[in-house]
Amino acid sequence: MAVGGFDAIQVLAQIQSRNVQIRQVYLTRNRALEHIRSSLYLSGTVVRDYLLDPEPAGAADELGRLRGLRSEMAAAMDAYGKSLSAAEAQPVRDLRTGLAAYWSVLEPALRWSPQERRELGYGFVQHELLPRRAAVLSLADRIAALNEQELNGGDERLEETFGRFRRRLLIMLAATLSMGLLLAAVAASHILRLERQSAARYQQVMRAQTELKELSARLLKAQEEERRAISRELHDEVGQSLSALLMELGNLAAVAPRNLEPLQRHLESIRRLAESSVQVARNMSLLLRPSMLDDFGLVPALEWQAREVSKRTGMAVSVDAPDISDNLPDDHNTCVYRVVQEALHNCARHAHAHSVRIGVRLTAGRIALSIQDDGQGFDARRVRGLGLVGMEERVQHLGGTFHVRSEPGHGTELQVELPVPGEPAAMLTRENQSVVPT
Amino acid sequence: MNPIRILLADDHTVMRNGLRLLLERQPNLSVVGEASDGRETVRAAESFSPDVVVMDIAMPNLNGIEAARQITAARPETAIVILSMHSDESYVIRALKAGARAYLLKDSAEGDLIAAIRAISEGKSFFSPAISRILVEDYMRQLEQQHAEDTYELLTAREREILQLLAEGKTNKEVASMLNLSVYTIETHRTHILQKLNLHNVPELILYAVRKGIIS
Repeated sequence: MAVGGFDAIQVLAQIQSRNVQIRQVYLTRNRALEHIRSSLYLSGTVVRDYLLDPEPAGAADELGRLRGLRSEMAAAMDAYGKSLSAAEAQPVRDLRTGLAAYWSVLEPALRWSPQERRELGYGFVQHELLPRRAAVLSLADRIAALNEQELNGGDERLEETFGRFRRRLLIMLAATLSMGLLLAAVAASHILRLERQSAARYQQVMRAQTELKELSARLLKAQEEERRAISRELHDEVGQSLSALLMELGNLAAVAPRNLEPLQRHLESIRRLAESSVQVARNMSLLLRPSMLDDFGLVPALEWQAREVSKRTGMAVSVDAPDISDNLPDDHNTCVYRVVQEALHNCARHAHAHSVRIGVRLTAGRIALSIQDDGQGFDARRVRGLGLVGMEERVQHLGGTFHVRSEPGHGTELQVELPVPGEPAAMLTRENQSVVPT
Repeated sequence: MNPIRILLADDHTVMRNGLRLLLERQPNLSVVGEASDGRETVRAAESFSPDVVVMDIAMPNLNGIEAARQITAARPETAIVILSMHSDESYVIRALKAGARAYLLKDSAEGDLIAAIRAISEGKSFFSPAISRILVEDYMRQLEQQHAEDTYELLTAREREILQLLAEGKTNKEVASMLNLSVYTIETHRTHILQKLNLHNVPELILYAVRKGIIS
């Protein structure tokens, strides 16, 4: 486009200068021709005066003027003679020959004596000078016509150049336009392809993310199932069998001879072993997944957890969960329980809290859980441990929200909200809804 | 004196056999039937009319707590001993609310079951020492953490006396005749006791008494 524009400007400038040049040449030539013609007329008049004036006072003057005129005409002729077109060459040569012939006819007459001039002068002027002059003038006219033609030809050529230029411009415009269109089409298709690619990649990423989430949810579920199964197995099978063993030991001890001291000692030692094994099985079972969670629901499990943590760590853990239904969905029970477990773990391990308040409310079809400690806190905007991430993930699997509010030196509060399917949205809890501190 | 008629309910055959052996060594105790799930237990309680049901919580079909509730509703005179692996108070309080009068841990059954059966057949409550200890410890810790003053101090001597009798499983009428007071007066005392201790019913009162070591 820029090249095209530059080219167009140049062509326009060229045309302009050609135009000026053509006009100048025409004018120069026209002027030369005018000069020749006027000199010719003048020369004719001077010669006539010279010849027909019987007693010319200034004959010598007139001769001088004639010579001046002749040299002027020669100069004009030379000026005209430069850079002639083929069509003009012949007439100009003819003009030159005509002029030469004119002067050569004049020449002898100029040397005439006054006598001769009187006798021959009139006839010479009528029959030689005037026809010659007319012939030369007609030649000059022809040349003027040719010059005019030249000018018109120049105009035509200019017109032609203009036409060519217009065509060129049109072609260039068309080419530029089509190139632009092509470029736009190529760019558009490229952009479209990139867009499709990025959309496909986005889809891929989203799919992978969804799959990952599903996978992690399934993993959590599987882990929970496994824990539940092992917990039950430990409690119901291992624990019960050990208890039965204890019972049988008692029965054996009752029938064994009292006086067989080593036997009684061994029985006693087996009993102690079995008892401690029952304890271990019971504790492991509860730690894996407390049976209350499945038997009685969320609140008894949370209360047990609170008691256990209090016993183990000395933190005062309170559970405030009025009117929480004992048949919330299993996933929700598990989620809240595990979040509280992890949070209490953090409170004891990292926050060094003295007391923790756990609040659970059922409001408008949502479980609202808050866990507040008086520990050392942390910068919630920067620190995000794996524990918190895990909790958040659990909550998000159930479509809930998870917020952490903490500041160094000001404790920590976790707030979780879980939508409960099938729970009437308008259901409101009774009084003291404002227990959850902010 | 008629022997105490006992129904054994546990889904573990080994456990039932062990218990039967243990009980039948005792004079005056007679195992009249066995059941291996909750529903069977409720039916057996109907047909055998035992004095005491010794029952596990974790049983198929119907758990021991539900079974206790149904048996108590149908035959209030039946005394129920829960024999469980669970040591948490959530199980204990639910069992008590369902009508059980004794709560034993299975691993202490061999030592405590006979005493428990004898206690509840006399109208008293009984808990495994381990259970009592757990409940008391939890309670003490709770008190410590709350820095709460001991609500027991709020009770009058008369109220403490009535609390103990009620916790042991006596009815208002029995307590009234023992203390030579009217049933109405006992009712009033009972209401005051529950209010002062922030309790709501007799099972909670029993739990409180166990925690405080008033009964065992």
